Amino acid sequence: MPNRMKLTVSHAPFWHTGSSTSVKYYHIIGAAMLAVLFGLYQYGIPALAVLTMSVGSAMLWESLFNYLAKRPNTIQDGNAALIGLLFAMLLPAVTPWWVVVTGTFVAIVIGKQIYGGLGANPFNPVIVAYAMLLISWPVYLDFNAALVDYNFAFDPFYPMAAAKFQGAEMVEHFTISGMLMGQQVGGIGTGFGLGLIIGGAYLIARGFVRWEITISFLAGIFVTALLYNMSNPEVYAGPGFHLFSGMSLIGAIFLATEDSSSPVNFVPMLIYGALGGILTVLIRNIGVHVDGVIFAVLIISLVNPIVDKIRPKAKRRVMNYA
Amino acid sequence: MINSSIFGIAPPKLAYETIDEESPKSVQASPKEKITLFIEEAMEKASDALIKTGTPVRAGQKLTVYPGSKAYAVSPVSGEVESITPFTGIMEKQKTALTIRIGEVQDDGGDADPFEEVAKSPSMQVLLDYLATVPGKPDFSRLADDAEPIKTLLILGADSDLLTVTNQFVIKTAGDAIKNGVNALQKATSKRNINFLMAVPNHLIQVSGTAGVSAKGVSSVFPMAHPEMIALSVVGAEPAGKKDSVVFLSAEAVASIGRAFKDGRIPGDKQITFVGKDGSKKLVTAPVGTHVKDILEKVGATVKDGDRIIFGGPMTGVSIYSIDHPVEPDTDAIILQDKSQIVPSEDLACINCGQCVRVCPTHVPVNELVRYLDAGEYEQAAERAELDACIECGYCTYVCESRIPIFQHIRLAKYALERIKAAEENNA
Repeated sequence: MPNRMKLTVSHAPFWHTGSSTSVKYYHIIGAAMLAVLFGLYQYGIPALAVLTMSVGSAMLWESLFNYLAKRPNTIQDGNAALIGLLFAMLLPAVTPWWVVVTGTFVAIVIGKQIYGGLGANPFNPVIVAYAMLLISWPVYLDFNAALVDYNFAFDPFYPMAAAKFQGAEMVEHFTISGMLMGQQVGGIGTGFGLGLIIGGAYLIARGFVRWEITISFLAGIFVTALLYNMSNPEVYAGPGFHLFSGMSLIGAIFLATEDSSSPVNFVPMLIYGALGGILTVLIRNIGVHVDGVIFAVLIISLVNPIVDKIRPKAKRRVMNYA
Repeated sequence: MINSSIFGIAPPKLAYETIDEESPKSVQASPKEKITLFIEEAMEKASDALIKTGTPVRAGQKLTVYPGSKAYAVSPVSGEVESITPFTGIMEKQKTALTIRIGEVQDDGGDADPFEEVAKSPSMQVLLDYLATVPGKPDFSRLADDAEPIKTLLILGADSDLLTVTNQFVIKTAGDAIKNGVNALQKATSKRNINFLMAVPNHLIQVSGTAGVSAKGVSSVFPMAHPEMIALSVVGAEPAGKKDSVVFLSAEAVASIGRAFKDGRIPGDKQITFVGKDGSKKLVTAPVGTHVKDILEKVGATVKDGDRIIFGGPMTGVSIYSIDHPVEPDTDAIILQDKSQIVPSEDLACINCGQCVRVCPTHVPVNELVRYLDAGEYEQAAERAELDACIECGYCTYVCESRIPIFQHIRLAKYALERIKAAEENNA
């Protein structure tokens, strides 16, 4: 045909919501900022060093791996930065630089890239890295030991350790409003409960995070902690304490909801979240580890492919196929 | 052209377009120099071809290229054949393109229009022989086969894709023609016990009464007016292994059939919803075969390099690559998109966000499906991930965060499976 005009040709549909993976990750980074800024305020320059080291090295590992694997560079999608940021948020402010760099290497290369990169990771890369460090160098992740040189205006115990080793009596030092306002020792971005909740509410309202997982995770923590507390209030802390202390909120909002390692159907999301909450409290109350969120999320990611098989039946007559 | 809400807790809701005017008007466009007609048959080199370059054509004449072949086109204009070329449509569909230069044809005073004679007594054979390419493009193949267990004939008065109001316009303005069409179809299928039903948007239920068929309201939320979704709500899901018992005919097709039998002439004017770059819609009537550029000129739209012209709706249409492409009998809408409005697909993996799963009207596990498709495991996709349950509405691809062309993957997989099946049958 004689006409030379070049029209754009592609397959239907010709509309798109405009959503994209990078928009999503930048929004999650933005939503985490409240808690991060509070961490900087509370822990000062050392926290800034850990954060920048973590984000920077995560992006570097991603870039380096892409180069070696001859894949297109994907650091601009924001996922590596998000992994670095979330990882730093879990760390004590004074973590040595080499621990941070090792952690981001594990997260990016072992947690994400060797499975094929974005979307192919069976576990949340942040969780994999943190769990690895927790087993390898527990001393650097012991909040009480790490933050001993700080002077806080509140009781400087890591609430999880206090509850575990000193019983429910110690827990009375922590009020829910205090923990919401960040009056607890912990990771750079895990302490400021209110900031995490505001960020989470934003992400849920915009659809970047699936509310089913967050809510059921928190419900799982609440119910399990309540049952323990009712059975023996002197030994086991109450549900309010468990909801707002340690990594509960960051786990429910930012860690358990990682797309690739969580289910997508309604009922599986509820099971996945609730199981995570229950396991968290079980590990905290009767397990060997101080906080249970990391290992709980690791375990529910294992069951994710199986529970996600629970899905509604496809609704349509079956055609005769070969 | 992109709908996106600030709130994302629920999947994005898309609503079908409706005609608000009490008595909508349509602009008549006409072809300038030539028209192109597609015949649904692969082009062959044949010395005994019935049509050659220079063959005169009368308006309303049925054109068959090869002796004995069933495929044909009906020319809405008079003139002479300028060229016959092969044309490959979507999914390698082979067609023959007939370009006709419009002009006066000497009346040889000979035989009258053969359709005029047979139009007096509607029958399945007449429908098959003369009216399979009327505007609305009715598919009679299953209706004509007595072995098919057809229970319901569903007339689609609701447009299956967004932005399109073509069938609604027909319902509003051509109630009599639809009634005639229904009568003709009832006569043609009188031997069989087929229930006639009409599906119309809820707000047109009153208007549709003139057609004399019981009407069903259809929700205005996408994709509830997709033919397969309407069939699901009308007859429900059928047990596994059973064959479809519903056939679909668009309201426009039924109206065309009605007009044909009433006037004794095969109608050629296609009703089109034209949507410009600014999203404004216009109703246009143009003969089948009219080139897009003639319609663009009529409505005063300009197209530049990099723009996109879509035949059909924004979710399920086909983009064309030339402004010389003709209007086809099933071109319900022509949509123009500016270069800046186009969101390109990306080469990213699925991140398992689950948006597709939540919007899928038939509960296909799209996140699993897309993994099989990406790996080329089409048979696994059909067995384990409900490939066959897909109704091809395009919703999953519209919401995909990784911008994967899922719909294209699905079409390709179905096409590949069909070819495998055909090859197996040939070898058996």
